[in-house]
Amino acid sequence: MSSTERTDLGRALCIITGASRGFGRAIARDMSRLVKPGSVLVLAARSADDLRALQAELAESEAGKAGLVVECVVADLGQVEGPESVVRASRAACSEGIEHIILVNNAASLGDVSRYAKCFTDMTEVDSYLSLNVSSSLCLTAGILQAFPQRPGLQRTVINITSLCALQPFRSWVLYCTGKAAREMMFKVLAEEEPDLRVLNYSPGPLDTAMQTAARSRTADPSIRKSFSDMFSQSQLLTCEASCTKLMKLLLEDTYTSGAHVDVYDL
Amino acid sequence: MQDIYSTNPRTLGRAICIITGASRGFGRALAQEVSYFLKPGSVLLLVARSNTMLQELKEELQSWTEEQQLVVHCIAVDLSTREGVHETVRVARQEAINEMDHVLLINNAGSLGDISHFASFTNLDEVNSYLSLNVSSALALTAGILQVFPCRPGLQWSVVNVSSVFAMQALPSWVLYCTAKAARKMMFGVLAEEEPNVKVLSYSPGPMDTDMQIDIQRLTGAKHHLLPCQESAAKLMKLLLDNNFPSGKHLDFLEV
Repeated sequence: MSSTERTDLGRALCIITGASRGFGRAIARDMSRLVKPGSVLVLAARSADDLRALQAELAESEAGKAGLVVECVVADLGQVEGPESVVRASRAACSEGIEHIILVNNAASLGDVSRYAKCFTDMTEVDSYLSLNVSSSLCLTAGILQAFPQRPGLQRTVINITSLCALQPFRSWVLYCTGKAAREMMFKVLAEEEPDLRVLNYSPGPLDTAMQTAARSRTADPSIRKSFSDMFSQSQLLTCEASCTKLMKLLLEDTYTSGAHVDVYDL
Repeated sequence: MQDIYSTNPRTLGRAICIITGASRGFGRALAQEVSYFLKPGSVLLLVARSNTMLQELKEELQSWTEEQQLVVHCIAVDLSTREGVHETVRVARQEAINEMDHVLLINNAGSLGDISHFASFTNLDEVNSYLSLNVSSALALTAGILQVFPCRPGLQWSVVNVSSVFAMQALPSWVLYCTAKAARKMMFGVLAEEEPNVKVLSYSPGPMDTDMQIDIQRLTGAKHHLLPCQESAAKLMKLLLDNNFPSGKHLDFLEV
């Protein structure tokens, strides 16, 4: 019996954080093409202008013309109101007939990679970093799971955009590695707790984004910085689109083990 | 110069030893155990919230510490606050580091957090508060102590992260604890990568007879065979004295 790979993600409510640029924006675009009419995208980011531009672009697309609804939530996820406003908007936007909830925890920051661990004497800085990069994804995911509880006919998928940095320590990257390791464990616990939930820790690879530019220009450790520079100069960076295509394939095939760490280069 | 023919037992040298969460449980046992291995002139900084319990511990250790010429300071602070971390660093800074040959920092203070379904954690302030004590505080304190006692030739530097099997194993309803332990394991792993002159150990002490374990049993109903804290603390001392592990390693009581 051949496996029946889906060609679409169903009539879905897709919630994407950090959707205004980079990988989040690529996800929004790809998902808009893979969801069925009657679907809703909830796009969250800090930049109202960038979100509205994306919303306008999607409205003009084939999916938009076929009735895809796109809502924008301008929010700073590191603040209490952030995750709450995304959950509220998602509840409001959800329509009857939604058969798939997809939450993409993509929003993240690099943290200050120009300093080593021994320089992080300011607890407030570390707290603030963890609030955005760890706590907010827990609270947002919890809020969405509460808003859309398990029921027959509803598939729920939770994606954590992770990194090799979740698995391996990198010099001068203490905040980023710590945050990614924390998130990866968080979503593994979720996968263990909720066997009906599909949980994917997706590592997108080295993407050609603003975050990557910051990585290669500010990393304190000389050899780590050089490896980023080399990737750039040797054209080894992936486009967001290329990595996103792999992510979509994973979602459509839907055979990954819930909670597993899947890297773009595994595919 | 070290007398290589000495029949003296092994020691941690003339050390400044900082132990957080020292008032009870594993931290208290660590304070007791470590005091056997500190040479005269060493300083023991005991950090916890309860001044009463810290003073009791200091009195308990008094006859031994006086005999061994060990100085003991109690620092009653809340390490979930920046003031608490700064005060600990301030007291440490006052010590005569030039005469020390070892800085030993044991990041033991930690909390269980709410054991509850993942979906219940919608309160950002609650989650942030938990991560602040269990993750941020350990980084800020370690960084602060590294700043006041920079690495130099002749100074041995050891950092212990009191960890758990749940730094690597996901357990339903334990999202806060697992997340923080996983975060710490990576955090100290990065430190080990960055600082070749700092020996970093993540030590998982096993299930011990502590107040935290009482909470675990009450909240989950799970009953384990519990280790006496002293036994696990003694094992950690042995690991530090043998000093045979690569920096950044994660070791469990049961493995060693």
